[in-house]
Amino acid sequence: MTDTRTLDQGNAPIRFARGWHCLGLAEDFRDGKPHPIEGFGTKLVVWADSQGELKVLDGFCRHMGGDLTQGEVKGDNIACPFHDWRWGGDGKCKEIPYARRVPLRARTQRYETAVRNGQLLIWNDPEGSAADHDLLPPELPDVMTDKYTPWSWHVKEINGSHCRELIDNVADMAHFYYVHFAFPTSFRNIFEGHTATQFMESKGRPDKGDGGYSGEDSMLRSEATYYGPSYMINWLEVDYKGFVTEVILINCHIPTGPESFRLQYGISVRKPEGLDEKSVDYIAEAYTKSFGDGFLQDVAIWENKVAVQNPLLCEEDGPVYQLRRWYEQFYTDVADIKPEMTDRFEFEVDTTKANEYWHAEVAENLARMAADGEHAHH
Amino acid sequence: MASFVPSSAETVEDQRLYTEERLVEVACLDCLASVRVKKNSEHQTSVQWSTEGRSHCQEFQRRGTGPGRRDLHKPCPRMMASIDDAVRAGDVPIGAYDGY
Repeated sequence: MTDTRTLDQGNAPIRFARGWHCLGLAEDFRDGKPHPIEGFGTKLVVWADSQGELKVLDGFCRHMGGDLTQGEVKGDNIACPFHDWRWGGDGKCKEIPYARRVPLRARTQRYETAVRNGQLLIWNDPEGSAADHDLLPPELPDVMTDKYTPWSWHVKEINGSHCRELIDNVADMAHFYYVHFAFPTSFRNIFEGHTATQFMESKGRPDKGDGGYSGEDSMLRSEATYYGPSYMINWLEVDYKGFVTEVILINCHIPTGPESFRLQYGISVRKPEGLDEKSVDYIAEAYTKSFGDGFLQDVAIWENKVAVQNPLLCEEDGPVYQLRRWYEQFYTDVADIKPEMTDRFEFEVDTTKANEYWHAEVAENLARMAADGEHAHH
Repeated sequence: MASFVPSSAETVEDQRLYTEERLVEVACLDCLASVRVKKNSEHQTSVQWSTEGRSHCQEFQRRGTGPGRRDLHKPCPRMMASIDDAVRAGDVPIGAYDGY
């Protein structure tokens, strides 16, 4: 018997989450060409039919395994480059031009699609259920109109980490100070049904330069909700020197393998009234860069950490265990979902002690920086 | 089908400690809803609802269930007031054991 705490690294699940997953901006797939997307341990093919409806199939032809993403869109169908088998968006082979008839069993894996806020989402379920449209993220009023800047959309491949690392951030108060250089002054969570929400108010650290959540003059009110396992809408009010901007940040991902995922984020900024286009674009770009930097700060941690099933928590930590209990529902057969996975849970973090310590630490850092600055002058 | 399988029994016990230990039942003063509550400090509160308790909450019923309703994410003010009351009455102990 030893008192030493061990890390339980556990086993990552061998299945991918049930739910809606975002593949990117819908417009980007409407150029008449097939698009390859790595996802769920395979490669998917995405194309638009003659009506502009987006279709998604497993990328490999069920005939001889040809790569459909290198094929051609012919009419409504995707044609395999190997033998020209034509597959429809419903997963059925519609035509084999050199054959008398199509085998009855010529059906491939299809993914049901939906477009929300200008983004293409697909339904994944290892049990093969029909897509549940009630679980889609909400439409955002006024986004995609001239009241908001168009989505600034970015993609980042993450290798060597399960996507649950990204989810853990929802309950992780203290990392906002250490990784993102902000003081979270208020931090709450609510998990319920298929949603998990984080409410945070934070102030930038004055001892770190601008970028991410840092910078003395920046105050943030943030409400971020995961709708299902992979799609988060983050409503942000950023107060920079008294100038308040509303920003919408989409943070979504699709697992590519058991230990890898593709992170995507998009930013749309409500255009402040009375500002010219150029200034609006400048502000949108600045926020895009700053939240993009924020993700890169996370990635540096993920790429080097280990998985842990038994995190050891202190009183100031957020509800990591409850968050993971919520997340588990997406990796469980629907019949096996336990009530506690979806029952409502509310948590308020006590940030008092943390902020006392952090303000003292930042004051010390500033004093040291000032002293170093004076030395440099002499 | 299990996922994220812990490799030790201690992990299962940790899961219980952090999610179930020391929760105290608090009934709403205004309706039939009740929740389980824990306070690790003056400012920290955990509120665990059950399906049944949730169905009794008049405030949540009023808010409806439409998707995309952001007010759904807000706590019920009546239940929050009831919890404050229970804390003042000393029914909910304040303070953590060992991080839980």
